[in-house]
Amino acid sequence: MGKSDNLSPEPVEKIIELRLPSKLGYERVAMDTAASLARRMGFHDDRVESLKTAVSEAVTNAIEHGNQQDAAVKVVVLLTARDDELIISVADQGRKILDQGCTTRSPQITDVLEKFDKGGWGIWLIRELMDEVEFTTAPSGGNQVRMVIHLEQ
Amino acid sequence: MMLEDELTVGTRDREGVAIIDLGGDVTTFAEEKINSAYREVTNKGARFVLLNFRQNDYINSAGIAILIGIVTEVNRNHQKLAVSGLSQHFQKIFRMVGLAQYAEIYQSEDEAITGFKRLNAA
Repeated sequence: MGKSDNLSPEPVEKIIELRLPSKLGYERVAMDTAASLARRMGFHDDRVESLKTAVSEAVTNAIEHGNQQDAAVKVVVLLTARDDELIISVADQGRKILDQGCTTRSPQITDVLEKFDKGGWGIWLIRELMDEVEFTTAPSGGNQVRMVIHLEQ
Repeated sequence: MMLEDELTVGTRDREGVAIIDLGGDVTTFAEEKINSAYREVTNKGARFVLLNFRQNDYINSAGIAILIGIVTEVNRNHQKLAVSGLSQHFQKIFRMVGLAQYAEIYQSEDEAITGFKRLNAA
């Protein structure tokens, strides 16, 4: 049992872990779970929408690239609810390692219109929509993205 | 469990505007349906094309890529493109990505029709 000391410096953490099959469509399970948690934490609707897009993009990348859509391997999503923020980490098995150049690139629609591949917006959207974003290597050796969204009072 | 494609696409004409109704999710699974609806209205000679969304749609970056592909075709075919029915969030995303430079954003289908009329009269 925790102490009922109001001066306790330790935030009460609540962690949810999802292990999703690497099949497109399952990103929505992570998206809906994150949205449900964020609403309960008191995030405004527009912030919940931003979170949904960021989570769906991160999990979609993990499914498509990191795990090469092999449904037998899992994408691991950790949602950590703190008093003042929600932290989401998404890890894959690293069958394809993320090109670090992708993590800082800002696509321009005028360039993209000329290209055959019109994609490449996912990571940029995550960076634009979340308060903190960090790309690292997961304990599994795969790709990991850690995203933080702050709760504004 | 339904996790895949849940997009319904329909086409209709209203006052000289070719409307493509998009109900559901605009993800990688939507590509063929959206592109074939666009080809259909273009083959019929559409000059004004409206992509009419529903508020609760899920649009991801793969869906955005499909829509940028439509913009490329619209420019090539000298048509005018507009969108309506997007939620506030996706209106923001369209502006962030830059799609709003190529497709006027209207709140509703009625507003879009009025906007196209104004454009046609100009």
